[in-house]
Amino acid sequence: MTIGESATHGEYGTEGGTHAPAPLADDNATFAAFVPLWRQRLRIFLQNKMAIISVVYIIVIFLISFLGPVVWHTNQTNQAAALFNVENAPPSWHYLLGTDASGYNELGRIMFGGEYSLTLGVLSGFVTIVIGTLYGMVSGFMGGVVDTVLMRILDSFLSIPILFLLLTLVTVFQRTTVSLILIIGFIGWFGNARIIRGDALLIKELEYSQAARAMGGGRWHIIRRHVFPNSVSNIVTVSTFAVADSILFLTTLGYLGLGIPLPATDWGTMLNNASQYLANGFWWQIYPLAVIFILLIVAITYVGEALRDAFEVRLLER
Amino acid sequence: MGAYLVRRLVQSFVVFLIVMFVTFILPYFETGGILAPAYVVLQNHASPSAVHAFAAQNGLLKPFYVRFWDYLSQLLFHGNWGYSWKNQQTVWSIMVTYIPRTMWLAIISLVITVLIALPLGTYQASRRNSIFDYSATSTLFVLYGVPAFLLCLLILTWFSIGTLHLPTPPTGGSSLQIFTDPKAFILPVGALTLLNLAFLSRFMRSAVLDVLVQDYVRTAKAKGCNQRRVLSHHAFRNALGPIVIILGLFLPGLFGGALIVEEVFNYPGIGYQTVNAAQYLDIPTVLGITLLTTVFTLIGNLLADIGLGVINPRVRVEGRS
Repeated sequence: MTIGESATHGEYGTEGGTHAPAPLADDNATFAAFVPLWRQRLRIFLQNKMAIISVVYIIVIFLISFLGPVVWHTNQTNQAAALFNVENAPPSWHYLLGTDASGYNELGRIMFGGEYSLTLGVLSGFVTIVIGTLYGMVSGFMGGVVDTVLMRILDSFLSIPILFLLLTLVTVFQRTTVSLILIIGFIGWFGNARIIRGDALLIKELEYSQAARAMGGGRWHIIRRHVFPNSVSNIVTVSTFAVADSILFLTTLGYLGLGIPLPATDWGTMLNNASQYLANGFWWQIYPLAVIFILLIVAITYVGEALRDAFEVRLLER
Repeated sequence: MGAYLVRRLVQSFVVFLIVMFVTFILPYFETGGILAPAYVVLQNHASPSAVHAFAAQNGLLKPFYVRFWDYLSQLLFHGNWGYSWKNQQTVWSIMVTYIPRTMWLAIISLVITVLIALPLGTYQASRRNSIFDYSATSTLFVLYGVPAFLLCLLILTWFSIGTLHLPTPPTGGSSLQIFTDPKAFILPVGALTLLNLAFLSRFMRSAVLDVLVQDYVRTAKAKGCNQRRVLSHHAFRNALGPIVIILGLFLPGLFGGALIVEEVFNYPGIGYQTVNAAQYLDIPTVLGITLLTTVFTLIGNLLADIGLGVINPRVRVEGRS
């Protein structure tokens, strides 16, 4: 219902205010419907200060992780050379965030591990969304037997504890960057597929879909032109959370010693290594990274919530 | 209701079969195929004949569908969950020993989580966009953002090694220690509670928010109900519906979260056993535990749906028709 309304607004938006009766055009509440939809959404998003701070923070973290090592080069792969450094050295002018147990420069390592964590997080999130959207769309749109079969398969995946499944998959398949992306991506899509299916079920029964069908529109046409565009709001929102979840899954794997194999590293593996020295008081190995990491997840969550608000039709009409 | 129950049970059984199929087929993707576990169990230097004997003894050489049927019929008709290659005991005895340990941990933590999350979510929703709402939201987001293992480790470092010097649970002994020696379980139960709190109270907040814009809430306010009565009689009860469904779906997550807690606090439970079994390629154990967890989850979902009918009579009527 709500999604249907958003589509109507979109069509009004493109027509502009020329056909509106004169007295209504003065009314602010009605006028809002004639501002292009994306601009209304952007305005709601920008009103959320936390969301703006979060976006800035996420961009900064990405820049530091990907551009940092280019500008400021530190040795992060040569174990033999790293041993010449002082191990577990506290922060100083020479080592801004100290060194870790192998003598690697901690600040440089946060950037180095960040490259992998962020790349894997985003790519697995993408895999999650592609599978979840396709699966949910097909299931919701086809309905009937196809829907029942697909949903029972989904139920089965949902009833296996997700960490058990993750661990089994990671032990069974060879651990490489690509396989980790596919495995983490595969772990995350179950819930999303269910949300997208709900959308598809709803939208295909709405008047405009029925009209398209009555005019002879084929299944793919309706999925492509009506169901998909109108569930974009949920897909976008869900994908932000998917990225956060993927980064968290990768971190958990790192803790269990099943992260990216050496000489690469990721934040989970780093936190795991550092946590062995937690009682020794080597705070620089764990707290800076922990704060950066937790704030990143919090920032992504805030952006996701703000996006959800921006797509919320009830809020558009104020 | 009877027909509905039968249909649900049949569906649940189908789901069970699919889970079994997925868990069954996974070892075939192992490098080295289905014989890979034999090399792990018999150590790397096993002679080909020993591997062959092991495979023949455990029926690994039979075709997939024969193995599948053998396992299923043993399970359904004899209640035989198989024999663990790693622990050299029946899978059933592993489950009987370790599942209660995890179960009590999870149940007590779940009760505490619910007791905190429902009032918190309701209060946040009723004071939407207040300072309290914002600060609670930020705190909960931080809890959501902390990796489970990091939270457990920090709690352990701060409150067991740092200050307070709270004890950690003993590694062995009865599963009922949680009642006889509750002090040792403050930290693991607290950690598990914090891990689940964010998700559940966020969910409760949005459920109550959805209810608060409904017509019957407006009617109640118009009739002169005060805020407290509107919240407790109209909003809370109607928001419970989605929460009950979510709790049913929550069960596997609870086992998963317990896995990390068990690992960090060195408290051998069923999650701990599963991780070890998976890394050891102890297929019968992984299969048995996964299937039993699935059964728990399916029962949980079924109870959630029935519980929904108790809370919300409208659903009950629809179920009957």
